[in-house]
Amino acid sequence: MTTISLPPLSWAARRTRIMGVVRRDFAALRRSPIRMFEILFWPTVELLLWGFVTAFLQTQRVPFVVAFLLGGVLLWQVLQKASNEISIAFLEDIWSRNLLNVQVSPLSSVEYLVGLVVFSLGKVVFAVTVMSGLAFALYGFGVGGFGVGLAPFMGLLLVLGWSLGLVGIAAVLRFGENAQVIAWSLVFVVQPLAGIFYPISVLPAPVQALSWFLPASHVFEGMRTVMSGGPLPWDRLLWAAGLDVVYLGLTLALFAWALRYARAHGKLSRFGD
Amino acid sequence: MVILEAEHLAKRFGPVTAVHDLSLTVAEGEVVALLGLNGAGKSTTLHMLLGLITPDAGSIRMFGMDLARHRTEVLSKVNFAASYVDLPGALLVTEVLDAFARLYGLRRPKARVAELIELFELEPLARRPMMALSSGQRTRVQLAKALLNAPRLLVLDEPTANLDPDAGDRIRGLLGDLARTNGSAMLITSHNMREVERMCDRIHFMSGGRIVAAGSAAELAGAYGAADLEEVFLKVARG
Repeated sequence: MTTISLPPLSWAARRTRIMGVVRRDFAALRRSPIRMFEILFWPTVELLLWGFVTAFLQTQRVPFVVAFLLGGVLLWQVLQKASNEISIAFLEDIWSRNLLNVQVSPLSSVEYLVGLVVFSLGKVVFAVTVMSGLAFALYGFGVGGFGVGLAPFMGLLLVLGWSLGLVGIAAVLRFGENAQVIAWSLVFVVQPLAGIFYPISVLPAPVQALSWFLPASHVFEGMRTVMSGGPLPWDRLLWAAGLDVVYLGLTLALFAWALRYARAHGKLSRFGD
Repeated sequence: MVILEAEHLAKRFGPVTAVHDLSLTVAEGEVVALLGLNGAGKSTTLHMLLGLITPDAGSIRMFGMDLARHRTEVLSKVNFAASYVDLPGALLVTEVLDAFARLYGLRRPKARVAELIELFELEPLARRPMMALSSGQRTRVQLAKALLNAPRLLVLDEPTANLDPDAGDRIRGLLGDLARTNGSAMLITSHNMREVERMCDRIHFMSGGRIVAAGSAAELAGAYGAADLEEVFLKVARG
């Protein structure tokens, strides 16, 4: 009987289980036109809104601001979607009362998270590609403006987004379904502090000090440096990478603790009741 | 051969003792029932055995391995279905089964899914989304999912609660065949006493988180001077 299964600890089995999560989420997305629509709807609304603001500012001859705003909108979407998509994928298991089935399968927590991350990466890349095309078509803004910073900027924001998503999942595991508001809104706490649409220098001094603890602040400052024609600010990227590693480590530990708490208090059994 | 060995399990939720000093074994090919009133501790016990709830005390060994330390290896040989869990509503029946076949690390997921679709007579439903199925049809898909990895231990929490008598009868026959032909063991909770009499080799009655009586249906009926298991249940439940 056991011959129908791969050895459970083999890499082939791990890959199969991770791809099981990815394929399942892709199938669910394909079957939900509303979710497909939603991937592009909000980013497009933001792009149009800021695009028109930009077009107005352009007529007022405000230098650089045009590109900064559109660049900020595009990179903000990377952060926001990375955070929300990973939380949504987990919440969908709760909403569909399927979490127990997943939790009693041999899928490990790490494999589950890797599956969620891989799928969210696909959605982020899709959304940002479409938005980049729109930004170019409507406003003549090309992501080439990020120069060689494009990949590191996006990568650093993705990792921060996943960390924020993990905090949201941990909150739901610890406090129950009512905490899903944290999963949705945490990324918006970052938004005013990260200098997405303005330089960190405009923030009050105490807030600036706080802001530099966010990897996103270094990324958006770096983006403005590059778009102003400056070199890629490696010092900022290294700070952002270091902070990302620390936050990802901390949020993984938080997730592991929250899962242990949920198992100890019987919370997994009660989700979706 | 004993495949499940739980010793001195205990679980409290705040002031409530859900399970107290519970020990249980299940041998290969054996069908064991946990019976009791709502709140007796049956589901908590099953969830501890599946690793969903961490016991406060006691140990769980399956297939000679400690569940807490060998979770992935143990759970690859176990499966589960319950009337209170569901499967992703947006997915087609084949997509659900295919996804779970992969979560269980099957070598040939598509072939196994096709086998189970045939076994559970799901062909007419295979290309329909889960949300479009009746509760009885969803239960059949749940049970098909529960057999994907040909589990050596199948844990079923009120498996036929949503089925009509005909479908329930057929599923019971199918599960019985599975135990006989594959040597799969089953641990079942149910409020259907005829189902338990028909399927189970051994029955444990739970009350207040403890096992208060155990034996075959005939042994229990004899011990309680009852005509059938239903009467035993009422006598145990009413003290």
